[in-house]
Amino acid sequence: MPVTRLLALGNDILADDAFGIRVAGEARRLFGGQMDVVESSEAGMALLDHVQNCDKLIVVDTVVTGQAAPGTITVLRNEEFQTVPGGSPHYVGLFEALQLAGKLGLHVPQEVTIITVEAADTFTVGGPMTAAVEAAMAPVLDMISGQYTQTPLSPPSSQSGGTGD
Amino acid sequence: MSSTAQRITIDPVTRLEGHGKIEIFLNESGQVDRAFFQIPELRGFEKFAEGRPAEDMPQITSRICGVCPTAHHMASTKALDAVYKVTPPPAALRIRELFYNVFMVEDHSLHIYFLGGPDFIVGPQAPAGERNILGVIGKVGVEVGQKVVGMRRKLRELLALTGGKAGHPVLGLPGGVAKRISKEDQAQFRAVANEAVDFAKFTLDVFDKLVLKRSDYVELILSDVFTHKTYYMGTVDGSNRINFYDGQLRVVKPDGSEYAKFGAGQYLDYVAEHVEPWSYVKFSYLKPVGWKGFVDGADSGVYSVAPLARLNAADGFATPGAQAAYQQYVETLHGKPVHHTLAFHWARAIELLYAAERMKELADNKELTDPNVRTLPTEVPTEGVGIVEAPRGTLIHHYVTDENGLIRKANMIVATTNNAARIAMSVEKAAKGLVSRDHISDGVLNMVEMAFRAYDPCNGCATHSLPGSMPLQIHVREADGSTAGILRRDLDGSITRQ
Repeated sequence: MPVTRLLALGNDILADDAFGIRVAGEARRLFGGQMDVVESSEAGMALLDHVQNCDKLIVVDTVVTGQAAPGTITVLRNEEFQTVPGGSPHYVGLFEALQLAGKLGLHVPQEVTIITVEAADTFTVGGPMTAAVEAAMAPVLDMISGQYTQTPLSPPSSQSGGTGD
Repeated sequence: MSSTAQRITIDPVTRLEGHGKIEIFLNESGQVDRAFFQIPELRGFEKFAEGRPAEDMPQITSRICGVCPTAHHMASTKALDAVYKVTPPPAALRIRELFYNVFMVEDHSLHIYFLGGPDFIVGPQAPAGERNILGVIGKVGVEVGQKVVGMRRKLRELLALTGGKAGHPVLGLPGGVAKRISKEDQAQFRAVANEAVDFAKFTLDVFDKLVLKRSDYVELILSDVFTHKTYYMGTVDGSNRINFYDGQLRVVKPDGSEYAKFGAGQYLDYVAEHVEPWSYVKFSYLKPVGWKGFVDGADSGVYSVAPLARLNAADGFATPGAQAAYQQYVETLHGKPVHHTLAFHWARAIELLYAAERMKELADNKELTDPNVRTLPTEVPTEGVGIVEAPRGTLIHHYVTDENGLIRKANMIVATTNNAARIAMSVEKAAKGLVSRDHISDGVLNMVEMAFRAYDPCNGCATHSLPGSMPLQIHVREADGSTAGILRRDLDGSITRQ
């Protein structure tokens, strides 16, 4: 049985960085049983544990590019980042963890989708998510639902996506 | 400043834990005028902490940081011991220190192989496309890569066994720990500790073979451009030997003689923070010496923490293998104190062996499995300071509570703040020695980054949001602020000019 995993990255006490964790809470409620839901606030090689032993991996995280409006959703798939070689500006992070796991012969997912949301504030401890980022929860859950689960989201439940866990 | 000078920005600094960037300002003639680093800083921590139960702090502070949560958890737990004026029973102290050294082995391994490794294991002059984790694996072999990852997994299993969750432990309580260690757990600790000692020795061999046997690397380590004569701080035991978990803070002068030794509660007598208008980063300095700017020497209060500093601040190690490696280190680098920034990597590898050997000692300790792991607090909580040696240097937590144990005031001085002034100096010196308008190549910029990366500066106390998909950009500005050109390090590592 192929394993689909939702890896939600973020930090629930750091303003917009809570996004991933909040999505995970909702996803567990809505799609529990249809996918592995894993939350992590760690960085670097800690991610190695979470990208192994699954067949499809969906990563949700905030991103700070400074080049898009807060709340902007971007979806990256395997083919768009598989070619990122060394010399990448991404310190030791998700991409390196995936590449390293592959190189070392570990069980890595065939299909990886990364859903990012542009954050406005990831530096205020205890800060709330900004409205624009909060509003991205429903469409992100819709994306996950549409592509990876048998549970279509009805409009009311997608509207309640911001209630958190 | 930026409106009157040309400016080069290296953003983000690659392979760091978290985000950071280096900015280099050129003067009118195209030489480096000033260089510094910037890291994002958390806002609102103190406010967030206010009014919360002090007992929540080990969890809250560990959740802030995606990189070294265990260090925050432990500093916070020790601060709570002081707040509640309670001494944990012996088994609890052993468990805490054991747990902490497991974490140190894991964290130092990560840096040596995957963060610092690209600079030395792969080589500072190697093509940019190879200076990364995969390049390290290419150099040391897949089997070694599997060994590193396998070791890490076992260490994290131990952290989870004791702390509940490897990433965010729930172990420390004021006066002790939440869980005792059973005989079965102890056996697992022993087995992994033995492996960790072998792994650390193996790592020192790798370092010896790939770095120390290379005279060009040793020359680079000893070169003036990567050298600063500052004060050094680290935690030592009663015999002035390094201890990561507990002891007194010892500071040595640039000539290596002892400047001060003090307990956690006295830190405010010695440490103060300087603020610069151009940076959010605070710069710690020795209060009695004073802030004299970004300069080294005995008259300047700038000091350093972390592996290089710890080896300078202490007289050695309490375990045999680490002590032998330490003696070789001091001899090779022409005596103490070692002022060479790039020696951080070697110092870190020696500390890795110490952490593993200490882990083994503690795993063998008879008191470890004693069921008494908590002294219940009975005093009215007031104020306390907890200090540990985080992988990246001295970490200080300081809480003041009301009589109900609710936080009135919280202060944290993290390792990278303690190192911030020396890091700024290192970046500037490397930039001045290597960069000019006509010398902005990938290799040169990497050498500047190396000065920064050696410290293993941790910006993870900020956020771990993905750093975006932008390749490295170097922005050169004319004196009037307009763009003279953009240098871009593309994903294949090549530099193009627009």
